[in-house]
Amino acid sequence: MAIVIYIALQLVVMILLAPLVNGIIKKVKALTQKRRGAPVLQMYFDLYKLLNKSSVVSQVTSWIFIATPYIIVSSALTAALLVPVTTFASPIAFPFDIIMLVYVLALGRFFMGLAALDAGGTFGGMGSSREAMISSLIEPSLLVSIFTIGLASQSTSINDIMLAMQSVSLPLLRPAFTLTFFALFIILIAETSRIPVDDPSTHLELTMVHEAMVLEYSGRQLALMELGAAIKQLVLITLIINVFLPHDQFIAYAGIGGLMLSLLVYLIKVIGFSVLIAVFEASTVKFRFFSIPNLAALSFILAFLGFLQYFVLGR
Amino acid sequence: MTFLTAEFLLSTSIILYMIAALAALVLLKNQKLCALLSSLICIVASLFGLAAAFKQLLFENTTMALRLWQSNIPFLDVILSMDALSAFFVLCLSILTLCVSIYSIGYMKHYYGIRNVGLFYFLYAGFIVSMFLVFTAGNAVIFFVVWEIMAVVSYFLVSFESDEPETQRAGILYIVMTHIGTAFLLIAFMLMFRYTGSFDFSISSSALPENIRDIMFVLFLVGFGTKAGIIPFHIWLPYAHPAAPSNISALMSGIMIKTAIYGLLRFVFIYLGVETTWWGIAILVIGMVSAVLGVAYAYIEQNIKRMLAYSSIENMGIIFIGIGVSFMAFSEGLELVGALALTAALLHTVNHTLFKGSLFLCAGSVHYAVHSKNMEDMGGLIKRMPITALFFLGGALSVSAMVPFNGFISEWLTYQSIFAGIIPGQAAENILLVFAVAALALSGALAAACFIKLFGISFLGLARSEQAASANEVPLSMSLGSGILTALCLLSGIFPLYALGLINRVVLQLANRPILDQLQGNIFFLYSPLEIHGNAISPQIIVLTLVIIAAGALFIERIIFGKEKRREFGTWDCGYEALNPRMQYSAAAFSKPIRVVFKMMFRSSRDLKIKGPLTYHPDAMEYSVTTESLFEKYVYDPVSRMVTAFSRKAKFMIQTGSVHTYLLYIFITTLILMFYNRVIG
Repeated sequence: MAIVIYIALQLVVMILLAPLVNGIIKKVKALTQKRRGAPVLQMYFDLYKLLNKSSVVSQVTSWIFIATPYIIVSSALTAALLVPVTTFASPIAFPFDIIMLVYVLALGRFFMGLAALDAGGTFGGMGSSREAMISSLIEPSLLVSIFTIGLASQSTSINDIMLAMQSVSLPLLRPAFTLTFFALFIILIAETSRIPVDDPSTHLELTMVHEAMVLEYSGRQLALMELGAAIKQLVLITLIINVFLPHDQFIAYAGIGGLMLSLLVYLIKVIGFSVLIAVFEASTVKFRFFSIPNLAALSFILAFLGFLQYFVLGR
Repeated sequence: MTFLTAEFLLSTSIILYMIAALAALVLLKNQKLCALLSSLICIVASLFGLAAAFKQLLFENTTMALRLWQSNIPFLDVILSMDALSAFFVLCLSILTLCVSIYSIGYMKHYYGIRNVGLFYFLYAGFIVSMFLVFTAGNAVIFFVVWEIMAVVSYFLVSFESDEPETQRAGILYIVMTHIGTAFLLIAFMLMFRYTGSFDFSISSSALPENIRDIMFVLFLVGFGTKAGIIPFHIWLPYAHPAAPSNISALMSGIMIKTAIYGLLRFVFIYLGVETTWWGIAILVIGMVSAVLGVAYAYIEQNIKRMLAYSSIENMGIIFIGIGVSFMAFSEGLELVGALALTAALLHTVNHTLFKGSLFLCAGSVHYAVHSKNMEDMGGLIKRMPITALFFLGGALSVSAMVPFNGFISEWLTYQSIFAGIIPGQAAENILLVFAVAALALSGALAAACFIKLFGISFLGLARSEQAASANEVPLSMSLGSGILTALCLLSGIFPLYALGLINRVVLQLANRPILDQLQGNIFFLYSPLEIHGNAISPQIIVLTLVIIAAGALFIERIIFGKEKRREFGTWDCGYEALNPRMQYSAAAFSKPIRVVFKMMFRSSRDLKIKGPLTYHPDAMEYSVTTESLFEKYVYDPVSRMVTAFSRKAKFMIQTGSVHTYLLYIFITTLILMFYNRVIG
């Protein structure tokens, strides 16, 4: 029963909240540019509209093209089940760990790369090739960061890591975790196709990465691709805020009241973090494509120093 | 049923292979019958081999020994022995042989009338027997003899299409490199005999002095490393694998390079023992370098089979990382970590056999249908060859370590063993281990990108050549061969504990502790999570979740939004309505970003030829990219130039060709020997 509640809670929270994050980021970016911007709920309207529209599929494509949106949504939602939004509802025996999370998300990325090549156009190949480079270069940093927080918690289970971090007072003031946090923040920016790595609002062939990969999609498939990307973004945000800024230890109530309060705090954290991402995005410009390796190297150095700090200073 | 002993099964299997080889020679004239009969006998033989391995791995506790010939000179006894380690490798060999033999029935058809198919089957069966004997050799002399037979037979198979200059060059490179490796092994075995007085590697090696052990370790590492194709001894591998017929490539990449892993475990792990930490560090570092460089070279490759060959280097690197971590852990007394890392390495060994076998067989199918190994000639094959495409995709997902395929399980175990190996208080080792994590991560991500490229460019999009546009699906036997392997990749990925159950006995033999009870939570057929220190994953549940959510998404969208209206139209081409295959991203273009990022390593140079007037619209343009191999340029070429120069000089100074001089040499040698006998002896 506890598991059913957990699954339902995770799915509902992640699906409903994911488009909101995009809305907030877009709104804040618009405000920093002295524009009024689209409504915060715009992505919900977009998704609804896309789901009702008919779709256009290229004659060149194979079954991979049609299957990919479902695989993307499935991998994103499966990843969503692996990262508890609140430790109040998470089941005790949890047969998944953080390395699995990385590989579940990689499954979605693999098929997105294939689907981009399926239509036989130029843009898809462009996006796929660029995405392949970016994701390869940030992977070492991601795994080293994961190892540091895992070692500090003596576990690779995400739930155990979150619980262990709750007993650390002010984790972000510990050098090991500060460095790892910034390493993971760069990874988040790169994985969610944001400035300075990629620009989510561009359709210029010189710069687009993620947009080039979904260019051939329309209608219902496009809605699923967009939703999958939004959920993946929220999963990574949840991972970062619940590991580095745990809140469940402050909630004294047990039971349903505690759960509700915990969810409320989680919501506030997500909104706050979205604003942070938006401010970060608004305050930088997109890098040249071949400067991205420098960013990946920076992320790796931060992750590696974080790992060293863990052994020098402990947690 | 008592006669079904492991000895009986093993000898039957070997005899059947030999019958297959002979039958091929006898039926040399009738190619069709010869191919069919030899393949069938090989299939039956591999089933016997499989049974022998299973019996030994699951039911026998003692080492099986088969004395074929007793001689008066003790080390010339011909003994075959099979313990758990041998049985494990025989198992890998037999599974692969089974599938490759099925595949060969169809694949060899395109050689009928062009090449000598009977000779091929003679060599094919001989190659399998020699590998079989390498795994079951009872002493170092036999091991060395069959090792050499394996090398020579595989040389003939590599240069089977001998009229192509590229193949000739590949064959020569292969035979030279493999003999350099053999030379190192020979010295190691001589040292072994010099200090212990025996070629028997099942006795204790305590008679060996400390420094001799170190020397022997280096000799074994270089000797077996050359066969394994790890960097920097890899240069033969990317040439030999593509040159050979695809069923031979599958055997070479799937199991022949694993004989090196077997040798390393047999002679270093069991015989020399693991007390020295730097041995582990050396293996680990070589593994890291091979994993990263192997996949980086694979990424920029346009030739399908060469890309797979480089990917084999990467996977050997991953296996070496596992073995290195295991050596380090055992030498420091961390037995559980060592056993875990060893399990990961062995699991990756069998996994690589399965998925690389499948991938090479599928690449052979593509070559069979398109008559090209170059990705730039392919495209859109998923529509022409849907079954091959499906199996290829399965193999690609597996080699990219995607859930729920078996590659993921062994990579996860490798990560977990490194995770368990990082303990406070050993700074240098920890930094090395975290770099191993980074190397694994980089190679894993690049491998995924690599296979997106391979599958995407060759199977998706528009056909880039006439042959690709008119390709046909391959015969059933070929699909079946690769299909079994891909199915095994998926099954052993979803139910990893059954594969680990086979490895358990090997780890018990090598590390003297079982690992299976550490790995399993509660085992049912459908729910058997892997568990280490409370960290668990359940492949079964993740598969269920993925499938249920995908189906759920499909179902819910149908319910709420009704049936989808779908319209077919051309791909977006900016409105020109003239999309043609040449507008697609090519394989060379796909790998450009990585080529630029690692330009230090690839040293790529491009060549743009423009024909016609130098305007915005020339008649034709030709663009080619060449990369240079650092190892060939800075290591192998200078050495080979030196050797050639020396030989040329020697020709004039010593080997003049005059009989008189040679007689003088013999005379002087005799004098020296007599002197030696008289004075010193």
